[in-house]
Amino acid sequence: MEQPVRADHTGRVGSRRPRARLGKVLAPYLLSLPAGLWLVALFLIPLVIMLSLSLHTCNFGTGACVMTWHWAEFGQQLSLYHGPFLNSIYYAGAAALIDLVISYPIAYWIAFYGGSKKNFFLLMLLVPFFVSFVIRTVVWNFILSDNGVILGSLKHAHLLPQGFRVLSTGYAVVAGLAYNYLPFTALPLYVAIERIDKTVLDAAYDLYATRREAFTRVILPLTVPGLFAAFLLTFIPALGDYVNQQVLGGTSNTMIGSVIQTAFANLDYAGGSALSAMLLAIALIGIFAYARVLGSRTIEEYL
Amino acid sequence: MTERNGSGPHESAIDPSVWRGMTQSRLSRRQLLTSAGTGAGMLGVSALLAACGVKGASSGGGPTPGGVGTTAWWAKQKSTKHVNFGNWPYYIDVLSGKHLSLEHFTAQTGISVTYTEPIGNNMPFYAKIRTSLSAKQSTGYDIIVMTNNSPALGYLIQFGWLTPLDHGAMPNFDKNAGPLIKNPSWDPGNKYTMAWQSGWTAIGYNSSVIKNPGTSVGVLFDKKYAGKVGMMSDPQELGSLGLLAIGVDPATSTESDWAKAATKLNQQKSDGIVRAYYDQSYIGHLKNGDTVVTQAWSGDIFQADLNSKYSDLKLLIPNEGGMFWTDNMCIPMYAQNPRDAMTLMDYFYQPSVEAVVEYYNDYVCPVPAAKQVLLHPTGWAAQALTKMKPEIGLPTTVTANAPTVFPTPAYVKNSRSYYQYKSQEELTTWNNLFVPITQGA
Repeated sequence: MEQPVRADHTGRVGSRRPRARLGKVLAPYLLSLPAGLWLVALFLIPLVIMLSLSLHTCNFGTGACVMTWHWAEFGQQLSLYHGPFLNSIYYAGAAALIDLVISYPIAYWIAFYGGSKKNFFLLMLLVPFFVSFVIRTVVWNFILSDNGVILGSLKHAHLLPQGFRVLSTGYAVVAGLAYNYLPFTALPLYVAIERIDKTVLDAAYDLYATRREAFTRVILPLTVPGLFAAFLLTFIPALGDYVNQQVLGGTSNTMIGSVIQTAFANLDYAGGSALSAMLLAIALIGIFAYARVLGSRTIEEYL
Repeated sequence: MTERNGSGPHESAIDPSVWRGMTQSRLSRRQLLTSAGTGAGMLGVSALLAACGVKGASSGGGPTPGGVGTTAWWAKQKSTKHVNFGNWPYYIDVLSGKHLSLEHFTAQTGISVTYTEPIGNNMPFYAKIRTSLSAKQSTGYDIIVMTNNSPALGYLIQFGWLTPLDHGAMPNFDKNAGPLIKNPSWDPGNKYTMAWQSGWTAIGYNSSVIKNPGTSVGVLFDKKYAGKVGMMSDPQELGSLGLLAIGVDPATSTESDWAKAATKLNQQKSDGIVRAYYDQSYIGHLKNGDTVVTQAWSGDIFQADLNSKYSDLKLLIPNEGGMFWTDNMCIPMYAQNPRDAMTLMDYFYQPSVEAVVEYYNDYVCPVPAAKQVLLHPTGWAAQALTKMKPEIGLPTTVTANAPTVFPTPAYVKNSRSYYQYKSQEELTTWNNLFVPITQGA
C-alpha cells in the first residue's frame, strides 16, 4: 500500500526525508507500545513467574522460595490430581456442548427475526448475568435442595423416590457450568449468524432448496467457525472454574480449578503453579487445534 | 481451622430463613470477609484452608531482636494511649455498631482503641502480615487473633514474630483464666498468647430424623444415612475426625495412624456415605435437610438450636472426643503500642467484661467467673447487658447455662487437642493424605 512519494503526514519531501522515514518505520511499534507493555507487564511476566515458581521449592512459613529445578513437582501433582483434570475436561466439554445446543436457536432467532429489537433481545439474554456469578450459583443450591421447593414438592407427590437428589452430583456441576457460561456461547454464535448475508438464503431457495436444505447446506456451514469459537470461548473459562463444583458438586466431582485454589490457599505456591501450568497447556492445545483446523484469523473475529 | 460460621446475633423476630437459605448461611462473625472475597475474587467460596498447627521451635520461639519481650524491655514500654486491635468479623459485642466493652475500656483507662476486623482466615492473613514482619516493620496491629490449630500461629512463634507477653501486667488473666485455656499445649506458660474464645468441632445432627444417634462418631459412618452425611473439607478437621474414628487421640497420633484414618475416611467416601465435603456452608445444608448428620462447630449448632425452626438440630460431643480449638490474642513483633495492648488483653479477663462479650458471642468463655455475672449482673455489666437484651432477645441465663459457653466437666473431659506438627514434612504428609480425599474425582 506504500505510496512512493508521500513521505510523512505533512507531505513534505526533501531535506527532512530521512528523519521522516525513521518516524514512519517506528510508527507501528510506537502505536503498539501500550498494548505491548500491557502484555509484557500483566501477562508475560506473571506467566514466566508462575512457570518458574512451579520449579521452586517453597517454605510455607516464610514464603521464601528457592529455585531447585524440581521437575518432579509436575509428576507428583499429576499423580495426585489427574482425576480432577479429567473431571474438568469432561464437565467443561459437556457444558460447552449443551450451551451450543441451547444458544444456537436463540442466536438464530435473534439474528433472523429480531428485527429492530435485536439489541433489546440481546440485553434480555444478558440481564440475568448482571447478578454476581457466585450468588446465582448459590441460589441454585437453594432451589435444588433435597427438600426444597422443587424436589421437596415432587417427593411429597411421590413422583420421585425419597433418596433422589440433584445436588452434590456431576449433573448438577455440568448444569451449573452450562447455566453460568451461556452468554459466552450465545454472543459469539449470534455474531456468526448475524453476519451471514441474508440474500444467500434467497439464492438457495431460487435454486430449489427446501428450508431444511437451506439451513443444513448454507447456514450451518457458514456458522461452523462461529460454532468452534463459541465452544472454545465457553470451554476454556469453564475448564478452570471452581465455583460451580464447590457449590453444587459432591465428593467425586472435584475440578482442577478447585485443587489449584486450595493449593494457593495452603500457600503451596509451587504445587499450585505446576497445576496452573498444566491447565494452561491443555487450554493452549485446544486453541492450537482450533487454529490448525480453521485458521487463526477466524477466532479473533468472535472475541 | 478456617471460618467458624458462628452465626450473627440471635435470631431476630422476623424469621430470616428464606434469605438464609438463599445465602446458605448467615453473614456470621467469621464469614463477612469470606463473603467479601466471594464477591471480589470468588476465593471465599470455599476457603479450603489447610488448617494445621505447626509446632513452634522446641526452644519455644526464635530469638527476639533487641531483647523485645524481656522484663527490662517491658519496663521501658510506656503507654501511648492508643491501641490497634485486629480481630475476626462479628467476634465481639456489638450494639448499634458500637462495642460497649471497648467503650468502657476507653472510659476507664483513657486509651483509645481502633478495632478492625481484617482476619477472615488464618493463612491468608498470615501471608499478608509476614511481608511486614520479615521486613522488620510494624504490621499496623498491636493485637491480632490467631487460631491454635492453624500453621500460622506456629509459624509466628517459630520465626520470633510475636512479642513475649509481660507477665507482670496480666493480673486478671492470672486470677480468672479458665483451666481449658491456661498454660495450653500450643503455648506453654502463655508466653505469647491469651485466649480470646474457644469452641469444639463435633457432630451436629437432626434429631427429628435420627432419634438415637448413640454416643460415638460412628454415626457419621452409618450406612443408614448414606448420602446424607456432611464432612468438613478442612484437612485438619477431616483428619482429626478420622483419627477419632479409629480410636486414636489426634494429639498423640503417629504417621501410621494417619494412614489408617485416611483409609477409614476413603472407605466412608467410596461407600457413598458422604454427601459432600463442606466448608462453612455445611450448616445451611444441615438446616435445609440436605444432610442429617454432619461435622459441626459448637457455636453454629447452639445458635441454630435457639431458633424454633431449627430446634431439631442438636450437638453431639462423642465419647471419642470433640476437637477443642482456641483463638488466641497475641502481639505481633514491631507493634507500636505494646504496653496498651497488654492492658487491653488483660482487661478482657475481668468477669464483667467477658460476660458482656459472651452474651453476644456464645463461644466458649475463657473466664468461668463470667457465668456468675450473667446470672447476677451488677454495676456496669448490668447496665450493658440490659441495653443489649432487646437486640439479642434472650435472657442472659440462657448464655450462662449453656454447656457450650461454660463447659460442664463432661464437656471438658471429652475435649481433644489437634496434632501439633513437628516439621513441614509432617504437615506435607498430613495434607497429602487428607486433602486428596476432599479433592477426589
